[in-house]
Amino acid sequence: MQGAKKPIANSLLVLREEFDDWAILFDPDSGTGVGLNPVSVFIWKRLDGDHTQEEIHRELQEHFESVPEDAGEHVAEFIEELVRRGFAGYEVERG
Amino acid sequence: MRVMNTPRSMDLEITTHCNLRCAYCSHFSSAGDVTKELSTDEWLQFFGELQRCRVMDVCLQGGEPLLRPDFQELVKGIVQNRMRFSILTNGTLLTEDLASFLASTGRCNSIQVSIDGSSPEPHDAFRGKGTFELALRGLRTALDARLPATVRVTIHRRNVGDLQRLARLLLEDLNIPEFSTNAASHFGLCRKNADLVQLTVRERSQAMATLLELSRKYNGRISAMAGPLAEAYRWLALEQALAQGVDRFPNGGFLTGCGGSFSKLGVRADGTIVPCTQLSAMELGRINRDDLQEVWLRHPELNRFRGRSSIPLSDFPLCRGCKFINYCTGNCPALAESLLCDPYHPSPDVCYKRFLEAGGEPPVTDALWDESDPDAAARQVEL
Repeated sequence: MQGAKKPIANSLLVLREEFDDWAILFDPDSGTGVGLNPVSVFIWKRLDGDHTQEEIHRELQEHFESVPEDAGEHVAEFIEELVRRGFAGYEVERG
Repeated sequence: MRVMNTPRSMDLEITTHCNLRCAYCSHFSSAGDVTKELSTDEWLQFFGELQRCRVMDVCLQGGEPLLRPDFQELVKGIVQNRMRFSILTNGTLLTEDLASFLASTGRCNSIQVSIDGSSPEPHDAFRGKGTFELALRGLRTALDARLPATVRVTIHRRNVGDLQRLARLLLEDLNIPEFSTNAASHFGLCRKNADLVQLTVRERSQAMATLLELSRKYNGRISAMAGPLAEAYRWLALEQALAQGVDRFPNGGFLTGCGGSFSKLGVRADGTIVPCTQLSAMELGRINRDDLQEVWLRHPELNRFRGRSSIPLSDFPLCRGCKFINYCTGNCPALAESLLCDPYHPSPDVCYKRFLEAGGEPPVTDALWDESDPDAAARQVEL
């Protein structure tokens, strides 16, 4: 179950916080940067291998006002997009 | 005034030494021409702070950066601290091994080689005998290693008639994607060699006309942030705005020229933090002693400098009564500092009104931008 897995950010990437809580996620190897809005920054900072998607979603609801009901789906989509781009992954369970 | 948490990039003069003495070098005899250099460890320590500040890239310059015996070690330190780098070099010291190493890092944004002529005469005139062949060899070495090599052409009195041949060499024979131009300006050694190297008004008009023609011929593969081509674009925009009755450009009428201090800082070879390596006398602190973010966000002189964009050009006798005032930005503060010892003044060197008064010919070309787009001309000025 994806929601119970604990995503972890690619430590080679650089999160550059600019102003108003917006940020650039910078890949020094490719030189590309992706703009992150404050909610995305909030999620990125919790991709530490200790938080599940569900926990991140719960913290998001506590931290922001007027969080839409389908926010959990958006969190999942965002994390999957990060994984697809190689910006994040899941810790492999030790056998 | 919105300022980022930390600078995005840094210009680092990693050495004050050079194997050449170009007659118009902006470094020598400037405040950046220091006697003390930082050790390897001091730079590596600073790179750690840059990483903590999330600086994305650094530009290695000098002097001649490749002259440092620990150059590869410094580059490794930059890579380990998750940054990218670019290099400004005269090209004469670039070996195959070094080029191969730089390419292997995968982090090189650009390596800019200075080439001033299509043959030894115009290049060597102010850079020294034999330097053309060495610089060209360095450029070819960079290209062979598949480094993102670029060329900077500094336009002066001895190469202003060579620009067509030079463009052919660079863009056709060597097939580099693009090159940039500037002009020998009133910095460093150029100040005492001005009569020898700096363009006269007539030569400046000639350079603008030639570069506009070449820029069109080569479909924008020639660029400029300063010098005759940049001036031609800016001044064409002023003329066009005036002819169309445009009230003002969004950044016009105030000292808004150059927003560099909102995105980057410089460091002299002795570790002194400065707003720009061309403003090397404006000392803001020292690396590894002063907290970089603290300097960036709170240094009073730096914040005063950023605030120059609120100074109206109408405050200056130079600008009063000028019909272009609402389209003008006052241009480069470092040039104003060098010419007038005052970075809070418009630069008189890049003043279109003065150029015309001195007999300069207005730049002429077919429309370079869509006239139905009212912001297009303003964007040219913001370059």
